[in-house]
Amino acid sequence: MISPILDIQNLSKSFGSLKAVNQLSFQVNEGDVFGFLGPNGAGKSTTIRMMLNLIRPDVGDIFIAGQSVSKKQNKALTHIGALVEEPDFYKHLSAKKNLEMLARMENVDLKRVDEVLEWVGLDDRAEDKVKAYSHGMKQRLGIAQALLKSPKLLVLDEPTSGLDPKRMKQIRDLILDLKDQGITIFLSSHLLHEVELVCTSVAIVNHGRLKKIGSLHDLMDDGRGVSLSITVNDAEAAIGVLSERNDIRDLTLSKQEILLWTNNDSLADINRVLVENNISVTRFLPRTSLEEYYLSVISEDEI
Amino acid sequence: MIRLIHNELLKIIGKWRSSIGFILIGVLMPLILWGFAKGGESFQREHLGQMSDSFVVVGSIVNGFLATYVVMNFLWVHVPFLIMLVSGDIVASEGQSGTFRIYLTRSVSRLKIIIAKWLTTLVYIFALLVFSSIMSLGLGALWLGVGDLVVFHEGLLILPWDMAFWRFTLAFWLVLGAMFTVSTLCFMFSSMVNNGIGPIIGGMAFLIIGLAVANIPLTFFETISPYLFTSYLDVWKKAFFDPIPWGEIGFDLTVLMGHLLIFLMITIRHFSKKDILT
Repeated sequence: MISPILDIQNLSKSFGSLKAVNQLSFQVNEGDVFGFLGPNGAGKSTTIRMMLNLIRPDVGDIFIAGQSVSKKQNKALTHIGALVEEPDFYKHLSAKKNLEMLARMENVDLKRVDEVLEWVGLDDRAEDKVKAYSHGMKQRLGIAQALLKSPKLLVLDEPTSGLDPKRMKQIRDLILDLKDQGITIFLSSHLLHEVELVCTSVAIVNHGRLKKIGSLHDLMDDGRGVSLSITVNDAEAAIGVLSERNDIRDLTLSKQEILLWTNNDSLADINRVLVENNISVTRFLPRTSLEEYYLSVISEDEI
Repeated sequence: MIRLIHNELLKIIGKWRSSIGFILIGVLMPLILWGFAKGGESFQREHLGQMSDSFVVVGSIVNGFLATYVVMNFLWVHVPFLIMLVSGDIVASEGQSGTFRIYLTRSVSRLKIIIAKWLTTLVYIFALLVFSSIMSLGLGALWLGVGDLVVFHEGLLILPWDMAFWRFTLAFWLVLGAMFTVSTLCFMFSSMVNNGIGPIIGGMAFLIIGLAVANIPLTFFETISPYLFTSYLDVWKKAFFDPIPWGEIGFDLTVLMGHLLIFLMITIRHFSKKDILT
């Protein structure tokens, strides 16, 4: 049986009249790469900060490897490494001195500092003061400090924010490497494509509440069908043909692009019908992306 | 705890503001001693002129001890401001810069972290006062020599040089106690905000008001003065009284340490429950 490395139980937190997190409960299993999604202000950062004991919940508790964050903070935090938002370091100290300081706090062997710096590609700039670092370098240093104590659970809050595409890919590869090593990754990101590439399961939160949770595969194949984008030579004629079908939902025309929802089984038939009606199909693009799914879940709250 | 204090020392040593106190004292003390070396005779004439009918002064009263005593009387109200630059900044600046996001997410309790920060400010104060002592008493003794110490308190008191030295030692520890209390007040302010300037200004304001209340001879001020710890910050002066008023010193220290403990308890309680939102 797979045990949960992270267990969030009935978590609530308010700031004045604003309910930032509202009775949030979910679990993350060991070995998962877990995507934590939601729009700005959904309560993601507050939840992550509560996981790390930076913020105290009003109600509820969080258990990391079975240890309560509120009652056994030190034991719970032993298992967790985190990069929370944009990392900030002691700028007047070198990257190496910063990491040595953090390693010293938890009795981590100082040799580990060189290892993690090499891992994130900062070994040649280790002696430079952090104030001379670019945003991307600080981001990588942030990941290095999170890995310092070989955590069981790695929390990454927007880890690729501000990175160039090459570095973004390196971080993605690093996440997959860490997964292979058995480290559970808790990834909060607005880059849904990135989440789709690395995550095995996701949770979507909005207004502090859990909206959806499950494996990526199950969520994307929950009977809603597939979103389809079609470009044709005569959009109005195509709309006329397609609107007569009862296996199509949410049919819209945006500029010259026809957007609709249908079933996986209907895709080939839709294409055939258009061609039989002398409509030239120049682009036929089924979309089952996480982005489509995410937007549909979030939009439910806005209706 | 030693590891945490090591970390905190690393953090403050590299900061420019931590050096200000040392630089200021390092420049000011030799300047004052140079002034004594050049203008010692006029100082002696001015201060002993009225008593020349009663005393026959052989040699000079100006020496390293006297220079140090005069400097202490002048500087004791200013040193707290130098200390506040560090104690007011040590917690608040981490909130401001966002470094708590990496530092407080370690498996170390907040209690240990805040105590380590507080102890570090005490280490800093100790180092600053030792440096001040070396620059005043040490350099003064080398430059101006040593001799009997003339103290003006309820008349003229002459302390033989060997007794003067241990009076300075006692005064050092009493100043240290007073500065620890001032520092802990500022440290408490520092734990409550996320801006390094606020606690320093708040601490200075508190000190200026407290010292004004303690020293302006108004009936209302005299009524409230005993309840303010700032009225006891000059306890070190009693080290030079004869006989030494141990009872009064004990009372003053108790008041100061009582305030220190209250400030520290408030700090610990506040910091342990504080939400880190920066």
